[in-house]
Amino acid sequence: MRKITIDPVTRIEGHARITIQLDEGGHVTGTQFHVTQVRGFEKFTEGRPYYEMPSITARICGICPISHLLASSKACDAIMSVRIPETAALLREVLHCGQFVQSHALSFFHLSAPDILLGMDSDPARRNVLGLLAKQPDIARDGIALRKFGQQVIEGLAKERIHPSWTVPGGVNAPLEPAVRDRILAGLPEAKAVVYRALKLFKGVLDQFKEEIEHFGNAPSMYAGLVDASGKLQLYDGGIRFKDPEGKTVVDHVPACDYAKYIGEAVLPFSYLKAPYFKPLGYPAGVYRVGPLARLNVVKSCGTPEADAEFSEYHQRCGKIVTSSFHFHYARLIETLYGLERMEVLLNHPAILDRQVRAHAGVNSLEGVGVAEAPRGILIHHYKVNEQGAITWANLIIATGHNNLAINRSVEQVARHFVDGKRLKEGMLNRVSAVVRAYDPCLSCSTHASGQIPLRIQLLGADGAVVDELKSA
Amino acid sequence: MKRRKPGKTLIVGYGNPLRSDDGFGWHVTRNLVPALAGCEVEVMTCHQLTPEIAEPLSRCQFAIFLDADSRGSPGEIHCRKVHPASPQPGAFTHGCTPAHLLASAEKLYGSRPQAVTLTVSAQTFAFGEKLSPVVSAALAGVVEQIRHLVGAGHSRLPKRSATLERD
Repeated sequence: MRKITIDPVTRIEGHARITIQLDEGGHVTGTQFHVTQVRGFEKFTEGRPYYEMPSITARICGICPISHLLASSKACDAIMSVRIPETAALLREVLHCGQFVQSHALSFFHLSAPDILLGMDSDPARRNVLGLLAKQPDIARDGIALRKFGQQVIEGLAKERIHPSWTVPGGVNAPLEPAVRDRILAGLPEAKAVVYRALKLFKGVLDQFKEEIEHFGNAPSMYAGLVDASGKLQLYDGGIRFKDPEGKTVVDHVPACDYAKYIGEAVLPFSYLKAPYFKPLGYPAGVYRVGPLARLNVVKSCGTPEADAEFSEYHQRCGKIVTSSFHFHYARLIETLYGLERMEVLLNHPAILDRQVRAHAGVNSLEGVGVAEAPRGILIHHYKVNEQGAITWANLIIATGHNNLAINRSVEQVARHFVDGKRLKEGMLNRVSAVVRAYDPCLSCSTHASGQIPLRIQLLGADGAVVDELKSA
Repeated sequence: MKRRKPGKTLIVGYGNPLRSDDGFGWHVTRNLVPALAGCEVEVMTCHQLTPEIAEPLSRCQFAIFLDADSRGSPGEIHCRKVHPASPQPGAFTHGCTPAHLLASAEKLYGSRPQAVTLTVSAQTFAFGEKLSPVVSAALAGVVEQIRHLVGAGHSRLPKRSATLERD
């Protein structure tokens, strides 16, 4: 038995390691995706006042703090038993759309475009955003501009790009100023143009990746995402819909407070990341996927005209139920377009500039659950408090966690197809990493650190000795 | 794209303001407003340098990067000219440097400013929002140095590296 270790997996948020088991003939016999960091927010928030939770839990992540702010604020809204003002809900959703745009732009342009546009087998030293910048400056410029626009939306509304304190229990702490609204609206056409260029580019290279599409986590699973009352895409609100691998809705409009009836959490012996599963099917049969691919599988439409046109073409190209995890990228771009269109709708809502944006109350319920779609999938914050409002128990189920079982299966599928232990090449192992990147995992979030160390791949002999080693960026 | 007038200066203070002296750049920028009144300056703070900064960088004529340095005697101030450099093999977004940003600004947007890094040698990177006393004492000198640099533009750039005396 031999073993290859990819440690760490690069161009993802957080730390992970992959081990690939080989037999004596060099064939892959098994894989494991290990998340090697541990956080502990559920434990150290015990005793804190519930109203501090949005600010504390936003520190879980520097990429998607807005999602944590929103899910946490919604859990606190439930503890206060308030219905937040309409304008506050509109503003929270605009903020959320800004986050989707910047996060999806980061994932596509900065993290995955090097694989897609420079090639899976390209020089690993140049296969990064800076290599992209040198080789394809137009694309790099677009990526920078789109991410910057999303960040400016966040900064315009919430005054800070990272870890803003604007979203609070009961609503938001300041109304929207007309000048900020106008500035965002003025930036939308160019942001959309960038997304259209990216979509055209991506569709143009799809034929070069037939083998990856066929083997990048291309297997049946269930799918879960939030939908509105009519089954359209919802990022901020809505109920959870589960679909089976054939596309049949199994459970629909699950309210936040009932998530635990359908989602169980298994513990894997080789990872700090728990493995949620669809409870009625049990573990591990209840594997499901969340995030862009899953969302576009569970909804009947996006609900905005331009995204819906792309949505139709996407399903025509890839099928009614899209199974290959390679298409997370495609779905991510469509959602980015949706985010921009949705922003426009929300910013033109007649109530968007109203000054009443916060409901005030104390503890009216000893338990609250908040659910929102983070860029990577469903995000659940569940708190229990005592009568003084101090947290007594907390459970966070993070988007990447839902995908844990699917990522493990995808890694194995890619490794079995592409990795040849006898003729090990960096590009083979890059594909194993690339399938993980397709999910855009946010491991700092999901385990409750970020950083970058060069990729290290070791081929170990049966006696544990290193017989080969590859390094990449 | 709106272009800045020639002479515009961009000041970027970066680091982690929750790790004591690593927040040096943030602390300096808070002291700059009165010192630079009337100057054509844009000030930004961030936790780390990212490729997005290349764009505003391309629209200015002079840039100052403010950071803490783990080398040297605590409180020591260094002013170094930045030369554009292509990313090293293995570089990644977390490793973006002022030199990379200058090269990126030129490559992506067609122009780059003259630039310096102004750093102070740190005493501690422990958890905390306050600077160590020795680094805090260097703040006034750094602000004064920035005021001179902004006033004189690149004509006062150091040839290579200059270590400034502390009081």
